[in-house]
This record gives sequence, C-alpha cells and structure tokens, in this order.
Amino acid sequence: MTSITEALERWLRAGGREIGEIHIQSADSGWQLRHRRDDQRTDLATYTGAEAARMLAQYTDSGEFRPLKTAPNLRRGWLLTIPDLGELRRALDYFYPAMLGVRVSHMHGNLVPVALRATLARQTGMYRVTQKITDAQAQQMVGDFCRSDGGCLKHILWPLAPGHVISTLPAEKFSLEAAPAAWPLFCHEACNLLVAKAREVVKRANLTS
Amino acid sequence: MLLKPHSALIIAGHGSTVNPDSSAPTFDHAAEIARRGVFGEVYCAFWKEEPSLRQVLHMVDADEIYVVPNFISEGYFTRTVIPRELELTGPVTRRDGRTIKYCEPVGNHPRMTELLMHRATEIAPGIPPSETSLFIVGHGTDLNDNSAVAAKREVDRIAALGLYGEVLNAYMEEEPLISKWDEAARYPNVVVVPFFIADGLHSYEDIPVLLGIAEESPGAASTTAKHVFARNPYHLRGRSLYYASAIGTEPMFADVILEQVAAFDAVEPASVFA
Repeated sequence: MTSITEALERWLRAGGREIGEIHIQSADSGWQLRHRRDDQRTDLATYTGAEAARMLAQYTDSGEFRPLKTAPNLRRGWLLTIPDLGELRRALDYFYPAMLGVRVSHMHGNLVPVALRATLARQTGMYRVTQKITDAQAQQMVGDFCRSDGGCLKHILWPLAPGHVISTLPAEKFSLEAAPAAWPLFCHEACNLLVAKAREVVKRANLTS
Repeated sequence: MLLKPHSALIIAGHGSTVNPDSSAPTFDHAAEIARRGVFGEVYCAFWKEEPSLRQVLHMVDADEIYVVPNFISEGYFTRTVIPRELELTGPVTRRDGRTIKYCEPVGNHPRMTELLMHRATEIAPGIPPSETSLFIVGHGTDLNDNSAVAAKREVDRIAALGLYGEVLNAYMEEEPLISKWDEAARYPNVVVVPFFIADGLHSYEDIPVLLGIAEESPGAASTTAKHVFARNPYHLRGRSLYYASAIGTEPMFADVILEQVAAFDAVEPASVFA
C-alpha cells in the first residue's frame, strides 16, 4: 500500500502545487512554501525546516491563535524552504494536520465518514448535552461555522444523519473533486470545535426558552 | 536503548482552543523524540486541537503504534476520552492489520518525583532545602481526575527523602488551598511547583493570582515571554517565594514518554505480537 510520503511525492511529480492556502514550488534545495497570495511578493521573511511551520501556522496576521488550522486565515509574508520530502511531509502536517494522511486513507478506501449525530451521540461529560441540538439548529450551525469563506477550508464528507444531508452550504463544499494541482482537504468527522459550538447552541437555546 | 524504527509513537494531549501553551510541551517532546530517531514516526494528537484523536491514526504508516497520554494522572481523559476516540479495546488493540499499544500516562511514571525535585532545585538555586517549604500544586475538585491523588503521592515520596524542611500538597479549588500557602508554610523559603502538563490557563494564569504574585491574570505564557518566572523570588508575606514552570515543560519528559513505552513492552513483550 502506498505510504503517505510516496503519495505526496507522486502528487508533486504530477504537478501538485497547492494545499489549502499554501503554494509549493520545487527549488534547487528542495521545496519552497509560501502563502499562495504571496506569489508576487519579494519581501518575504525566510525560514528553513519543518519546525518553522509549527510557528508559522500558530497565529493569524493579527496575532490570534489558530486552533483550527484549516481556517482560511493562514498568516502571510513568509517563505519556507524545506530540504527533502520527509521534512515536507512534517511541515505540511504542521500547516494542515492529518490532511495528507486523511486523503491517502480516502484513496485506499479506508476513510469512513461519521455522521454528525453519531459524533454527538458518543460525547460524554460536558459535551453530552450536544445530543439535544435540533436538526434545524445543527443545520444553521454547520452552515455558519464550517463555511469556506471565513470558517473552514475542508470539504465535508459527513451527513447530519444517514440520508440527511447538510443543506445550508453550497454543493462544492461536499465535493470530493479538487483542482488538478490541489491536494484536497477532507473532513470525515466533525471536529471538537464544532462539538463545542453545538454545546453553546444548546446552552443558549435553553437560556432563551 | 529503545529503538523502534518500524513503529510509530503518538503522544496524546489535551490541547486548547484559546492559546498554544497547552499543547506546546507535547509538540516539544514529540520534536525531541523525532530528533533522536527512536521511532520511525512521531505524532501528537489532541482532544481540543489538531491533529485530533479522530484524525491522527490516518497520519501513520506503521502497523505498530504506541500511544502515550501526556496527562498528569489517570482519569476521565485517559480512561474514557482517549480510548473512545481512538476506538481502543484495551491495552492492546488489533484492528485492520494494526496493533495499537496504549501506555500509561506520563504522570504515573516513578521518575516524576525526580523531575519535581529537579525543577524545585533549578528554580531556587543555592537555597537550602532544609529551610524551604516545597509545595506541589495539583488541580483538584474534578471527581473524574486523580490529579489530586497523584500530587499527594509525589508529596509523600519527596517528603520521605527528608531533604526539604517540609513538603506540602495544595490545590486550586479544594483544601488545602494554594491561596493559603503562607498559613501552611513554616519556612522562610517557599518553592511552588505546579504538577501540570503545561503553562496553560491554570498554572500560568490562575495560580499566580492565587499565590498573590499577580493581581490579575498575567495573560498567556506564550504572549508574555513567561515573565512570571523571571521575577523570582517574590518577597511576599514575609517569605521568599519561588514559582516554577509546570512540570510538564521539563525537557526530561521526553525521556519519561519513552520510558512509558519501555514499561509497556516490559509487561507486554513486543515479541509476542511480532
């Protein structure tokens, strides 16, 4: 079975150049990564090695912490040189955690999407209350929280419940297709941030009812 | 020496959606272990950050995976959340051609005692332990969490060595309260070591206020250059008080993580599963 590094190498050889907001360019000394909207800039701060990616992915341009790395708010103004493929994989794991592996699992048929209701059903402790969210509340929450313009860049693979699709986001949000040069970002299960948001929605509804 | 080039290590932590301080030590220890080349692959996974516990197994190529919880004690997260999210069936889970080995949390390791004492010595250089009250601070209150029990265990172990004038346990929200440190301490020097995984909200922002060395939260450790520690000692309530960084930021935690893997293998010999 293809390893994740091999899949990454194959994708790069086939012309793969973009993942999320990052543009990847081959260079004499390996690869150069930058924000894709910085391709014309010549004033970029330079960094080397995968560990720098952790710091670059940490905060927005305005200094806010980025708990959701696929939020479309990656800081700009940097150029990261990566010497080899193994380091490139590590750097991309910092920028977009698990997104290489999740896509490779999907290629191998090993990615099983989990419906939002199933994710909420297994919550315990302070998140158990999320099971009380109504379908309408959940639809509205996902439509707002996961939207690509300002929420999250991942493509959603899970339904609200089996046979019950999310209807509050455009069709392309659920597409498995990506531009030929782009590595797709897949969401196979609601993240903890969305579960925490569901808790807020239920708590707020309880207060106002 | 532990060498597992065909295995993967996952260090499982709590993480935070508010600031990077909670996950920083976990990432640091992972980077150090990766640098040593002990494992073929090393990853972090978090409850509140990415990669999540639900994503991380997709990142791994290896068929043998060790999971070490970077938690201070057994409790809700190590017994309920991590096993549930990783779909573990016991200490050893075999699924889809993979073997996942679930190790003890770092805080259970016998070396915690040595690390706490190392930190206490480091933060108050030249201060005679015999004239010092050493506090080990835990969280307390959470019924599902044994951090208070773990802190008390470490206090008993350090006290048994007879080096410090006294060794005391204290908690944020239950008796004995850390806010009453001056009532409990009998010695002129007071060293406070938080038995926490990270310089997060509790150890960096809450406890300094409870100690009286900050009037309000100093802000996140990552945004304040950890200035709380640079101001040691604090001359307060007639004592010299030294406040340490959380024990989980100790670089030797990387060794403890590896030793938890070795301890797992000692009980469940790797050859059995080869």
